Amino acid sequence: MKYIIMLLFLGISVTAQNQHAHHDSIKKLEEVTVKSATKKKIETEMKMAVSVDEFLSSSDNISFIKRGAYAWEPLLNNMSTERSTVTIDGMHVFGACTDKMDPITSYVESNNLASIDIKSGQEGSLHGSTIAGSIDLKRKSTQFGLQKRWNGAYQTGFEFNNKQFFNLGNVSYSGTKFVADGSISYRTADNYSDGNNDEVKHSQYNKFNTSLGLAYKTSELSSLRLDAIFDMAKNVGYPALPMDLWLSRALITSAAYKQLFEEGLVRVVDTKVYFNTIEHYMDDTTRPENLVHMDMPGWSTTYGLVSKANLKKNDYSSEIQLNAYDNLSIAEMRMYPQDRSERTMFAYSWPWVTTRFAGLSMNNSWDISERSQINLGGSLGVNYNYSKYVEFNWIFHPGAPQEKTRFLPSLNAAYNLNIDQFNFSVGTGYGHRAPSVSEGYGYYIYNSFDRYDYIGDPNLKNEISYEGNASAGFKNERLSIQGKINYFYIQNYIIGKILSLGSPMNYQSVGVKGYTSLDYATLLNMSANVSYDILEHLHWKGTLTYARGMDDKGGNLPFIRPLSYLTSLHYMYKNFGIQTSVNGDFEQINYSPEYGEDLTGAYTIWNISADYSFKINKVKSTIQIGAENLLNEYYSTYADWGNIPRMGRNIFTSLKVNF
Amino acid sequence: MKSFNFWIIALLFAVTSCTIDKTDYEAETGSEVPESYEFKEATSLTSGNYKISIEALNGAFYKGYNELRLKITNTQNNQELTTASVTFLPILSNADGSKSSCPHEYNVAYDATNKYYSGYSVFTGESTTTASWKLYISFTADNQKYEINKDVTVEKQSNKNLNMTAFAGNDGEQYVIALVSPQKPTVSENALVAGIYKYNKPTTPAGTFPDPSQFSYSEVAGYTLKLDPRMPEPSMGNHSSPNNKDLTQETDGLYHGVVNYTMTGNWTLNFIMMNQNGLIVKGTIVPTDHTPGVEGVKSELYIDTLF
Repeated sequence: MKYIIMLLFLGISVTAQNQHAHHDSIKKLEEVTVKSATKKKIETEMKMAVSVDEFLSSSDNISFIKRGAYAWEPLLNNMSTERSTVTIDGMHVFGACTDKMDPITSYVESNNLASIDIKSGQEGSLHGSTIAGSIDLKRKSTQFGLQKRWNGAYQTGFEFNNKQFFNLGNVSYSGTKFVADGSISYRTADNYSDGNNDEVKHSQYNKFNTSLGLAYKTSELSSLRLDAIFDMAKNVGYPALPMDLWLSRALITSAAYKQLFEEGLVRVVDTKVYFNTIEHYMDDTTRPENLVHMDMPGWSTTYGLVSKANLKKNDYSSEIQLNAYDNLSIAEMRMYPQDRSERTMFAYSWPWVTTRFAGLSMNNSWDISERSQINLGGSLGVNYNYSKYVEFNWIFHPGAPQEKTRFLPSLNAAYNLNIDQFNFSVGTGYGHRAPSVSEGYGYYIYNSFDRYDYIGDPNLKNEISYEGNASAGFKNERLSIQGKINYFYIQNYIIGKILSLGSPMNYQSVGVKGYTSLDYATLLNMSANVSYDILEHLHWKGTLTYARGMDDKGGNLPFIRPLSYLTSLHYMYKNFGIQTSVNGDFEQINYSPEYGEDLTGAYTIWNISADYSFKINKVKSTIQIGAENLLNEYYSTYADWGNIPRMGRNIFTSLKVNF
Repeated sequence: MKSFNFWIIALLFAVTSCTIDKTDYEAETGSEVPESYEFKEATSLTSGNYKISIEALNGAFYKGYNELRLKITNTQNNQELTTASVTFLPILSNADGSKSSCPHEYNVAYDATNKYYSGYSVFTGESTTTASWKLYISFTADNQKYEINKDVTVEKQSNKNLNMTAFAGNDGEQYVIALVSPQKPTVSENALVAGIYKYNKPTTPAGTFPDPSQFSYSEVAGYTLKLDPRMPEPSMGNHSSPNNKDLTQETDGLYHGVVNYTMTGNWTLNFIMMNQNGLIVKGTIVPTDHTPGVEGVKSELYIDTLF
């Protein structure tokens, strides 16, 4: 009811504000970005109309666990989402599915995002405690007083392999006093076919997403902004899991007040309160092989505050951010025999777990000379957990505390040096993270990858990361070479270990694993990027990445990407562009049978696409046609849940119109 | 403006339309398990100047274990009689005229702290048209022995957590195991209390009815009841739980252990009963593997529960 009133109010205020729009454009509100390595423009080299997942996968340090064609789980630096913070404009949103069928990235759409900001390791601690880094999905937000008042884009396309049809539209209005951004999108896809032209059953999806952002300039130097995203996915198949998604819905709202300062140390203060709620209902009645059915509804509700100040004085600049949120995660399990009126069991897989976090983070940067810069950052967070139905946690951990408070410090330092065409950087970091809701309080969460039921442990210690990173690069007019390396030594690394006690519960399960802490684990990530302009309009790019993860016994960690490569050529002629790429992984030698992995073979994929830009009246249009996996290779990657095969040859077409 | 309105209407619709309700966990477990902690008068008998009131949980006799509280009052002066030697004998009469009893406390002693005569009766069957229960009570007052009896109704125990089982052991003896507590288990480690009783075969020919020597039961001493709780339904695949404790006898004569229920639903308490010498009197080891889709194999000695 609360949000209905709020929305009604919004509607009224929209009308009111439009009538009072002034024409005095003296100052535009501009973001003072201190430091960012954001990915601009939501499109990849190969494809202009991409999903958020496809876009993210074009980043070097992101890989994906795929449970189907939808809602891929992003791994940052080869670490799963518990170890990274994924935020939308700094807002914390937590998925409502115990099986990670709904990473946060599945609740946005490419046409309501402006960019995605990925930070590696403790550098990403600005948004809250992390080990792997942070992924911040930045929403579109139009500036005040643009010369062109109305802007919009429409994209449509069809992909032949899974008959995906999508329509994405967004429009923005920019007045001197009032700004509005709106987007709406719908995607629908059937089952896809693998490289043997066999249909992969239960891989369909349907997604609707809409967003609205309204900003009002309250004074020359301040503005108020209201944002809302509504996302709904229905009938989504997860071929790698024993169940599908019937319905998931997310409502993500925020109200922000931004104040700029013309003089003084503090330049911008941006404070936002937010509320988001997610509901996620699984459905296994679509699988006839299941003799029993289990309803597993999940809910996640978060209230939060994020306040950010940007400071700048001479050679010094700083970002200070306060994060606070309260999340309640609930997940139920309820089993039925054939006769649905009878009940077999009931239990909570998340027994009403509250997480409260408050943290203050800071990133400081000094330009100590024209060529060099020092960055120092740190944060201190307090994390509080409360399990309402703690009796479920007591089954395996008798006497475990119902409440737990943890302190999560973080520090990072980096030094950047630019000498002529060369650049170097070294950095280090130290940080804690609290166990996730599943790791701390999960109860019989079935993991279909290793086929174990997972039990959380409220007494788990904080994971502590010690991190080092370095990069070196060279750049001239035609050639650019960049090499990066980072190394994590993670104490109390949380992972599932087989429990000798307890018996499995879920239908396909073979045993019970408890989340336990290894003494330590280590992770190494390396990447090399080269780009070269062969001719004025012919560009070549190559990427090589390698990672290695080991536990304290020298065994392999799961979901570590083997040596992989990507090479692409891009040719432009007038309004015509053609690009081709080859990418693949080498054999995954360092796999982990202990965690359900088997040897995944090497594969190579060849993609090609062509586009043509043209103008009708003043409308800029681009049309693209292309093929992914042109040779129709049958393959699955190291991170494909249950070795489900990836999509075979896929011809895609799309049209984009900007007005 | 039209588009804004459209969005607002769309959002309104989305926010207000119905979704699956969360389970009301407290109410849910409550509805499955009737719970009664109050002792009320279940029946009363009168003999001469004396009135005997028998109190049981919820004011009724149920199949299974019943804790009983007897109060004897002199109706003349309303004084409670506290020094009588009271005996209690429940008798089941079948249509064919055969008579039997059930585990019970024959000599009901006075509990001075709580001010009642404390006993119990483990009714082994419900009252039906062909089987009826009668209580035979005797007491002494004013150096006179009073003997009275009364028909009572034994109702079905709808709380499966107070189930019982009667069986013949490998030693040829007749046994009864009855669950005493918990009445209302929770998802947790529950203190499990059961009574184990044995029929004492008469060694002498029957005297005048009711001859207590023909209907004698006793609490079994020094046995061990090994416990393996499992969820028997096919969908649960023989699910079990950790941290259970076998039942052993404590000073109250009852057997105490721990059952860890991991979730609500149907459970089977699989038992193996061993005597003082560790010999199995009854019960078989159940398979421990996870067998989804197959109904769990039960021990030959078990009691079903549900919560």
